[in-house]
Amino acid sequence: MTRPIHDFRLLRPQSVDAVIEARSMHENSRIVAGGTDLIVNLRRGIGRPSVLISLDGVEEIGQTFVSPDGARIGSGVTIAAVLADRELAAKFPALAAAAMTIAGPSHRNLATVGGNLCLDTRCIYYNQSEWWRASNGYCLKHRGEVCHVAPQGDRCHAVFSGDLAPALLVHGAEVELAGSGGRRRMPLADLYREDGRAHLTLADDEILVGVHLKHESLRSGYAKVRTRKAMDFPLAGVAVALDGNVGALRALRVALTGTNSCPVLLQGTDELLGKPVDEALLKSIDKLVQRQAQPVRTTLASANYRRLAAAGLARRLTDSLATGNASVS
Amino acid sequence: MSSQPPPRKQIVRMRVNGRWREDAVADHALLVDYLRETAGLTGTKTGCDGGECGACAVLVDGVAVPSCITLAARCDGHSVETIEGMAQGGRLHRLQKAFHEQLGAQCGFCTPGMIMAAEALLRKNPKPTEAEIRSALSGNLCRCTGYVKIVKAVQIAAEAGS
Amino acid sequence: MNASVPGTPANARRGIPLVDGVEKVTGKARYTADLDRTGALVGRIYRSPVNHAEILRLDVSRARALPGVIAVVTGDDCPHPYGVLPVAMNEYPMARDRIRYRGEPIAAVAAVDAETAEQALALIALEVRELPAYFASDEARASDAVLLHENKEGNLERAVHHAFGDIDAGFAEADLVREVSIDCAEVNHAQIEPHAALAEFDPLTGRLTMQSVSQVGYYLHLMLARCLEMDESRIRMIKPFIGGGFGARVEALNFEVITALLARVAEAKVYTELTREECFLTHRARPQTTTKLKLGMAKDGRLTACECEVIQRGGAYAGYGIVTILYAGALLQGLYRLPAVKYDGYRVYTNLPPCGAMRGHGAVNVRHTFEVLLDRMARELGLDPFDVRRANLLEAPTRTLNDLMINSYGLGECLEWVEKASGWRERRGKLAPGKGLGMACSHYVSGAAKPVHWTGEPHAVINVKLDWDGVVTVLTGAPEIGQGSSTMAVIAVAETLDIPPDWLRVICGDSEVTPKDNGAYSSRITFMVGNAAIDAARKLKGILVDAAARKLQASPDDVECAKGSFRNARSPEQVLPFIDVVREALVNEGTITVKGTFTCPPEAQGGKHRGGAVGSTMGFSYAAQVVEASIDEVTGEVTVDKVWVALDCGHAINPLAVEGQIEGSVWMGMGQALSEETRYLDGLPAHASLLEYRVPTSNESPPVDVHIVETNDPNGPFGAKEASEGALASAMPALVAAIADATGIDLDQLPVTPDRMMDALIERRRRARREATRKVAP
Ligand SMILES: Cc1cc2nc3c(=O)[nH]c(=O)nc-3n(C[C@H](O)[C@H](O)[C@H](O)COP(=O)(O)OP(=O)(O)OC[C@H]3O[C@@H](n4cnc5c(N)ncnc54)[C@H](O)[C@@H]3O)c2cc1C
Ligand code: SF4
Ligand code: FES
Ligand code: FES
Repeated sequence: MTRPIHDFRLLRPQSVDAVIEARSMHENSRIVAGGTDLIVNLRRGIGRPSVLISLDGVEEIGQTFVSPDGARIGSGVTIAAVLADRELAAKFPALAAAAMTIAGPSHRNLATVGGNLCLDTRCIYYNQSEWWRASNGYCLKHRGEVCHVAPQGDRCHAVFSGDLAPALLVHGAEVELAGSGGRRRMPLADLYREDGRAHLTLADDEILVGVHLKHESLRSGYAKVRTRKAMDFPLAGVAVALDGNVGALRALRVALTGTNSCPVLLQGTDELLGKPVDEALLKSIDKLVQRQAQPVRTTLASANYRRLAAAGLARRLTDSLATGNASVS
Repeated sequence: MSSQPPPRKQIVRMRVNGRWREDAVADHALLVDYLRETAGLTGTKTGCDGGECGACAVLVDGVAVPSCITLAARCDGHSVETIEGMAQGGRLHRLQKAFHEQLGAQCGFCTPGMIMAAEALLRKNPKPTEAEIRSALSGNLCRCTGYVKIVKAVQIAAEAGS
Repeated sequence: MNASVPGTPANARRGIPLVDGVEKVTGKARYTADLDRTGALVGRIYRSPVNHAEILRLDVSRARALPGVIAVVTGDDCPHPYGVLPVAMNEYPMARDRIRYRGEPIAAVAAVDAETAEQALALIALEVRELPAYFASDEARASDAVLLHENKEGNLERAVHHAFGDIDAGFAEADLVREVSIDCAEVNHAQIEPHAALAEFDPLTGRLTMQSVSQVGYYLHLMLARCLEMDESRIRMIKPFIGGGFGARVEALNFEVITALLARVAEAKVYTELTREECFLTHRARPQTTTKLKLGMAKDGRLTACECEVIQRGGAYAGYGIVTILYAGALLQGLYRLPAVKYDGYRVYTNLPPCGAMRGHGAVNVRHTFEVLLDRMARELGLDPFDVRRANLLEAPTRTLNDLMINSYGLGECLEWVEKASGWRERRGKLAPGKGLGMACSHYVSGAAKPVHWTGEPHAVINVKLDWDGVVTVLTGAPEIGQGSSTMAVIAVAETLDIPPDWLRVICGDSEVTPKDNGAYSSRITFMVGNAAIDAARKLKGILVDAAARKLQASPDDVECAKGSFRNARSPEQVLPFIDVVREALVNEGTITVKGTFTCPPEAQGGKHRGGAVGSTMGFSYAAQVVEASIDEVTGEVTVDKVWVALDCGHAINPLAVEGQIEGSVWMGMGQALSEETRYLDGLPAHASLLEYRVPTSNESPPVDVHIVETNDPNGPFGAKEASEGALASAMPALVAAIADATGIDLDQLPVTPDRMMDALIERRRRARREATRKVAP
């Protein structure tokens, strides 16, 4: 007998509109997709929504369409389905590489793209039981007043640890949102803000409907460090997409996860275009990553390690993609 | 006698190991509790506080999922398979036979989840490589075997065919 | 068919699957959580939110008043301290007056359902006066530190000082003397089955029935009687299937006593299941250890002296602590020839969950340090690590300086096999960059020769029953916890009688049916219970031979018993099937029950010095292993690519199970080396889940090639010794040696997580740069 989750009502609307309606009707409600993040948190007593709105009945968000110029992935598509889609993997290699590193195989059967992108931020002081957090006086992110990681500051540094976001960012993904005000599309990067307590820019009644990808001539890859080779969130995850070769880069995008409260699309890579991929260029990437990655002690592994590992992965991935040894994870 | 009224329940219909059942289930009930407490199928185990060990793995519509973070109500209308449904016609399933004979089970606590995860793999990929087996079982922790004989058991079961 | 045909080497035999294996693979096996809980109340524990405090007020009245709450118990309900060592009982099932770690049980409720139990916990009010808390050994040992236990000066549970041989002469003789200080993080058993107990108290008969995950039903029985002030005869202990132990359950645990207390107060059946977090709080595992070791070595690799200081951060209560700190010193010896040994051990009280016994109890972290230092000294002297071990081999029979008895010793053969199998000579130093090979050795006891509770009884008893249906039933109290002990007992009896194992049944762990057994710890079962089983089977065989002789009208000396039938050696055509002989034996006798026993003789029970019994055993297992590893210099990730391991278990009664135990123990050592550690944030366990406590997954677990060495121990059952702990302790140093081989980096801290490896890589780069500039400068 597991410890009971608090009592709630489960709604299973059949359309995006019905989901939005349910959202606006029930103030204390939460969206559940695969539940591999949300249910785990609820079992630890993090949040007590009175209503859960399940997306599993919404057909519109459950499909992937791939066309010659791009793809649209529904937010309800499972990670396993992403992995099974060869066309998707061929066009967006970083995506498949990142998907393969998420949780464990049985989680991937439940876990969704939308859930991964909207994944709650994580912290060693937060992803703990109710007894644990209560004994510790809670924290800024949930029910408390101080941040145990950075007690002087007034923000939460809980870290975004989803693996898909950086892979989608380097492929220039846009997200499609639906809310009571209608639908909108924006760059994936705009879905996030650097705040561990409220890292999503979604409005209260908005949900993520899908992800749009444009096909570009890019080689891409994803790599992540973690202590175990499965069932471990990224201590740092890096996606790189580039076009060109060792002689000169025509396009270069680098994105990070596991380092900040939101995924980071590295700024400043444009200045490296046209240059050969040599030690000097790799050093510049290293520097950019080290400057923009801002890990703090939200994990037991040191923050410095996460920064260095992110930089090292970015260098290696860029190098191997440029030389044509596209490496996956 | 409890201090609060029991939670509201809804009728859930599920095909469990090939047979349809109908039960009143609370919305917040987990699939693992439904299977163990309501359906009396205690072969499925729990080893963690949610989603971290794989001991509770069962098949829903043929694919492995952690039943300890799956809401039972969401399986309404779906088919669920547990370790109890594996042996058919008085014979051990080939995975069960291999786990038994190769000592893929020591204390046996991870075994039901492990076998279900392996079954999901073999249905998709009847001739997996060692790396594919290790990857497919990477969400199922075992503390006894070091996975050596578990991997061997899955290889032998795969060779035995269905 | 026979698992262990005498004379056939283990590696050519297969052994048999576990006798309870079919239940496990079909989901029919009932573990504690699967028992019939009809009508059972739900037990839940209220745990301390503070590290160290005096209890000023504990008010459970509102919890008690909540409808649906049937019983509430607190420290007041049990005024008796308990603990596994009679000399060190200083723990209460629920804190009284004083709280010593966060998560310590303070009260408990039994309610009609889980929701109500949870609400009741929220109604408990606790007022405390906080005291300073200590999370590190040196803080707790500081002269001004508040004492956790008033009678324990310096917060020392036990200081051990042992000296054997002439230590000064030893170091004087050495060509190289080196010292290290190595830190091994605290680890946890993390058996996959969470703790659980089901207790039923019947007010009409005044009897208590207890079913739980215990590896030591007998010790739990004793402690329940003590804590509940019940007559032992009123308590029945039943062992369900158990999902692993590794030492997690080798003493009575607070939740077990609490569940029984609740059942008695409620006059009902109470079921308590702990969360994974609570399992980590219950702990009782391997302590964080700092080992300072100094070795003297001659140019040829011979060890001349050994000086060792061990500090174990023991947590808040005694538990097995004294034994752990004694083992750490005692098992410095017994693996190699050591002419002089000095040992100082300190077991420290800290405000953390109590440590206890874990696979390789006491020996592991010290062995790690020892092997790591051997490796480094070998390198400095330009010797091969294998040659250094060979320069220090023992010769059986012998006794160590601390009077440990060694009757069989297969380390040399273990070394030979792993050296060859791994291609050590050809491959070492020639692997691709970033790859390395390392090796190490280890050993462990086959059961403590002196039991924890001295009663004068034999160390093991087995009953074997034979009835009219021809079924031979083995009745054993030895807890089958997945290690295969029931199968071992079946084979021991079946082979002695020369009948197929399939003709036997085994009943295990029910105090009203099976003979008392001390439990599954210190790898005692195969050696002791195995011998007792053989003893019982021989007696039974005698009875059957007599019966067969009567029927065959032959002299018992002429009766041969083989492959399930009996014949007259003088007229071989006269054959009796087993069942006919059984029926003859039952005439005028009825059901036959025989008893087998085993007792370790006094000369095996260790030296006369204080604490000399700890480490004493009838036989040591020996192991050697080679680890091949890769290091990713960009990320600091370490991968174990392959392990070759050989273990001398005397004789493999069930080779299949022996292999499984060796694989499991090597792998567990690898987990401790790579990723497992507990960490506390201001006394709160940051690792209290299977996500943060990183048990290796199948993805990073290596193939393990196993070889069994059989030295045929003169006292072991069929020559057998233990097989499930001995190989653990060499896994860590072999990996650290492989990392040194690959990178030139010597690591003084475990586990080697990617961040620690990265720190070491950076440090190496810095050093190289410093050295380069130094060379450039004039
Ligand atoms: C042991 C373990 C290991 C894990 N390891 C990893 C890992 O390595 N990498 C990784 O990335 N993740 C990991 N996870 C987390 C999780 O499994 C995945 O991130 C998964 O993709 C989440 O998807 P989901 O559909 O299950 O999300 P859910 O749990 O259903 O939802 C997550 C959050 O997103 C919100 N949400 C979901 N869908 C939408 C939508 N369409 N619109 C708006 N909001 C939405 C929910 O309200 C919730 O707040 C791990 C989890 C576990 C238990
Ligand atoms: S970063 Fe600070 S506020 Fe945010 S979850 Fe961690 S401790 Fe809480
Ligand atoms: S019980 Fe551990 S994953 Fe479900
Ligand atoms: S067999 Fe014990 S946990 Fe796997």
